[in-house]
Amino acid sequence: MLRTFKVEKFHASIIPESTLFKVLKYLDKEVIETPFLLIDSEMIKEKVSMIGRHIRNSKIFYAVKANPDIEILKFLNELNLGFEISSEGELEILSSLGVEPERIISSNPVKSLKFLKMAAKYGIHFFSYDSVDEVDKLTKVVPHCNVYVRLSVPNEGSEWPLSKKFGVELDEAATLLTYAKDKGLNPVGITFHVGSQCTNVYNWNIALDKAKALWELAERNKIKLTLLNIGGGYPIKYTKNVVSIETIEKNVNNLIYDKFPKNIEIHIEPGRAVVGEAGIFVATVIGKAQRSDEEWLYIDIGVFNGLMESVGGIKYSYIVESYKHTKYKKRYTIAGPSCDSFDVIDKNVTLPEPDTGNLILILSSGAYTVSYASEFNGFSIPKTILIQRKGKR
Amino acid sequence: MIKFFEKAPYAPVEYSYDVEEILYKEKSKFQEIIVIKNPHFGKMLILDDVVQLTERDEFFYHEMLTHVIMHAHPHPKKVIVIGGGDGGTVREVLKHKNVEKIYFVEIDEEVINVSKKFFPTVSYGIDDPRVEIKIMDGAEFILKKKSADIDAVIVDSTDIIGFARSLYTTDFFTTLRDCLTDEGMFVTHSESFHFHMDMVIEIQETLKKVFPVVDLYTAPIATYPGNWWSFSCASKKYGCREIRRIPEIETKFYDSEIHLQSFVPERLYEKLLNKTLKW
Repeated sequence: MLRTFKVEKFHASIIPESTLFKVLKYLDKEVIETPFLLIDSEMIKEKVSMIGRHIRNSKIFYAVKANPDIEILKFLNELNLGFEISSEGELEILSSLGVEPERIISSNPVKSLKFLKMAAKYGIHFFSYDSVDEVDKLTKVVPHCNVYVRLSVPNEGSEWPLSKKFGVELDEAATLLTYAKDKGLNPVGITFHVGSQCTNVYNWNIALDKAKALWELAERNKIKLTLLNIGGGYPIKYTKNVVSIETIEKNVNNLIYDKFPKNIEIHIEPGRAVVGEAGIFVATVIGKAQRSDEEWLYIDIGVFNGLMESVGGIKYSYIVESYKHTKYKKRYTIAGPSCDSFDVIDKNVTLPEPDTGNLILILSSGAYTVSYASEFNGFSIPKTILIQRKGKR
Repeated sequence: MIKFFEKAPYAPVEYSYDVEEILYKEKSKFQEIIVIKNPHFGKMLILDDVVQLTERDEFFYHEMLTHVIMHAHPHPKKVIVIGGGDGGTVREVLKHKNVEKIYFVEIDEEVINVSKKFFPTVSYGIDDPRVEIKIMDGAEFILKKKSADIDAVIVDSTDIIGFARSLYTTDFFTTLRDCLTDEGMFVTHSESFHFHMDMVIEIQETLKKVFPVVDLYTAPIATYPGNWWSFSCASKKYGCREIRRIPEIETKFYDSEIHLQSFVPERLYEKLLNKTLKW
């Protein structure tokens, strides 16, 4: 069945034509049971090739939490990417794929003992920390491991700020580096996180200034650092264009070159930037209603089974299947399928009118969607399907 | 003078045309069909707000879509034209004297009717006795075709992202290959080399899964966004760059020299498929 989707000009800046083409082809020929997340593997490959390209001496560690789907991890493993993990669950998947321990790091500053034991046994030896307690745990479970301290930096301008939960200020960070050394660990560097979906380029400037100050403090304390982990935070296109990876990286690279020793090693932990734009959620309109002046559209994916980040302020772009003329658009409130009144994804979205049963595509939804999904109210967790190039390469 | 603004969602430019007169504007079962008159281009055929052809420059597209594989093939007799309801491609195929049969498969009969009425210089070949008109989906026609006796298939579709996308799938290319003779060839337009390189690659790679020989050539089309328009051709045996029959037909743009130089140079082609071309 050939479906008609209303593709508009602004969609072109969010999703490349070839990706949309692949998605639509997929939707034409398959029996559709929504909701599910379609991933364009070619786009992941392209994103991976872009990240780290402009930062000297850098290594990429994919933040598995963004989307831990086994097929995606397999694909990234074939691209020889590193992985950043936080839990025994994530380690289990990587272990099932045979990922070498050298390609795994953990940047969660507070890790469970259970995870640490498993990580130690596996041979992982890069861990972040930001407390005395964490050093004590690491000393016991992974003696002599490499550690990097989490510095708190401003998160203004990032749509998903994280800084308050983790990170310490300069003096405490310096003390923690010394403390780790005294305990027999190997303090190798510094990490920070500017916040996820960070559209403010200057956050990296401030963060690197602060990291530089800590680097010097550590040197004064006779600790020679070699590693700077710049976290993630590269933004993706949801409803509008964002500053490019290239622009961010060229800026970051220049700053690092100016402020730090020349042979410094850089770790980058992108998650959203790797899988976000490659993912398109396919959902079905399950009902429509007019409530006073508001037009409501109910779809089979919501806050609880995939679009949790909409609550935190992420706004998506939609392409609807519709058989009405594009001229007649309506302004909708889009809600998920559950009975919870909290389950509202978006408001004031202007769309061509779909019918109940029509599909709705949610663009740039590959990251932090399925990984957040629960089975609340009996709605199952959506599947992830990779569109891969079959046959000859 | 009022203006018509083209709405091609994936074009980063927006072309507009002076409208002297709106000659036709109706919705068919599949799309909105508009015919306008422009001072420079003459009559223009517009489907779903995208310009398909103009009286003045349609020959660039129709000649280049048709004659390259028709001359690369040693003796094309049976041809399928899918889409191209305006008749321009059929007209070009009919110029080849050895052609015995054309299956002309168009999904939207209204386009044929409109073209007959407003574009007689484009559509006059449609009523030729060698042409058999089939009003249906091209993918379905190919699927139902059981014998492998076709020498050439030419796809002349609207925008790929729209309802023409069934003509760009692996399944379609596979069934199409199976209705071709061992020397059979295929060609389709594949969007702007300048603006839609990702689509050119996608189509090339899909074709490569099905055909042993796949190639790419381009032609200048002033009224298609990006202008530098690409054509993807495929073949079961022969290369498409070589001319196997001396061109004896009357054309305005195509000739043997154009044929040879229209193909994407090998180094550029390699870079394209390696995805190292970025602009």
